[in-house]
Amino acid sequence: MTEAPGSLRVNGRTVPLENVPTSERLLDTLRWRLGLKGTKEGCRSGDCGACTVLVDGVSMLSCLTLTHEAEGSSLTTIEGISDDPLGRAVQAAFERAGALQCGYCTPGFVVALVGLLRERGTSASVEELLSDLGGNLCRCTGYVAIARAVELVRTEAP
Amino acid sequence: MASLDLVAPASVDAAIAALRTGAPGEVAVLAGGTDLMFDIDRGRGAPKRVVSLRRLPWRTLDWNGPTLTVGSTLPLRALERDPELERRHPGLFQAIRAVGSVQLRHRATLGGNLGRAAPASDLIPVLLSLDAEVDLVGPRGSRSLPVDRFVLGSRRTALAEDELIRSVRIPEPRPSVYLWQRVRPANDISQIAVAAAYSPSDGRWRLSVGGIPPRAVRVPEAEAVLVSPSPTDSEARAAGERAARHLAIVTDRRASEEYRRHLVGTLLERAVRSLATEPKVGR
Repeated sequence: MTEAPGSLRVNGRTVPLENVPTSERLLDTLRWRLGLKGTKEGCRSGDCGACTVLVDGVSMLSCLTLTHEAEGSSLTTIEGISDDPLGRAVQAAFERAGALQCGYCTPGFVVALVGLLRERGTSASVEELLSDLGGNLCRCTGYVAIARAVELVRTEAP
Repeated sequence: MASLDLVAPASVDAAIAALRTGAPGEVAVLAGGTDLMFDIDRGRGAPKRVVSLRRLPWRTLDWNGPTLTVGSTLPLRALERDPELERRHPGLFQAIRAVGSVQLRHRATLGGNLGRAAPASDLIPVLLSLDAEVDLVGPRGSRSLPVDRFVLGSRRTALAEDELIRSVRIPEPRPSVYLWQRVRPANDISQIAVAAAYSPSDGRWRLSVGGIPPRAVRVPEAEAVLVSPSPTDSEARAAGERAARHLAIVTDRRASEEYRRHLVGTLLERAVRSLATEPKVGR
């Protein structure tokens, strides 16, 4: 009883699912099938946030998502995040704040923050945003500059 | 990579039928999948057939008089963001905020948390203190069980192989609180968690403790100490001490028995005091 698999969209491009194994994780599909290596594998167990992507505009962990479960959804990865003004504003804030050290966690932080701002609009305080970024780990412990980027984007976002 | 027979039925009847196709023990139900994913990768003992609930119309949330009914596949984040939840069920709100990260809560569900019955569940203690009921649906129709008769042990529930959790019902708003202790505050698993709630309709307290394998439990010995809606500090302390003394508590990799007993006493005392001194919200 296998159904005909559909497709999903990644950064505006249609990706058919017929050749994707049912047990494959979205993280692996993005990195190894589509070559979108900006989405990082950190812990592969939902503890670090490095693999965060937007599924229909909502932040999710691609390591804990079966690719087929996202069928019919529209995904945005870090590669597509600058396609809208909010994404560009978050990227610019990280750049201006120098909010990266090794850079491995940065795509996850940027995508997660775009998702939060989209979800909360202008209602969220900097403190709430930082608390809601608690699922993103920076192994370099460079949190001060990341917090500064959040403040910048909160005051300057379009 | 092991192949997986993954199906996503579009109706409840088809989902129940799909559960009955396959050998017992080899079929798993997928709601958010944030916990099941660890089984899928395991190889030996991994489910061969997975029935996804993503197409079922159960992402619902209804306030009906005093009763809150949450569809089993509603993402926890949607429940957390409901404008009424924090005011009417502060303890449940705090417990949901304690589950993983925002990204995880965008997928994880109340039904999944109950169905998977992890001993460290952050939601089961508070659901116990709110007398939540679990609504099940199967080939023989529907039935409901209180959470303490639904969760039987570590990873063990009263759910039959061909039944699904349709919704969770909370009968009334109660002043409630959820407190926990962890190594890392964000996105970690609780070493001990406690929930306290006071029911304005029957004038009784519910105290429960989680993070103690095999499962979260109510503590009637400690509840018996609390006889008024505003217990004194010494009554709150006595309730905590009784719970710390009476509960069966083990040492595991997350914490020692001694540390856990200390936490049970301290956190329960704090939980009761916070509800005794705060204005009674919930109605």
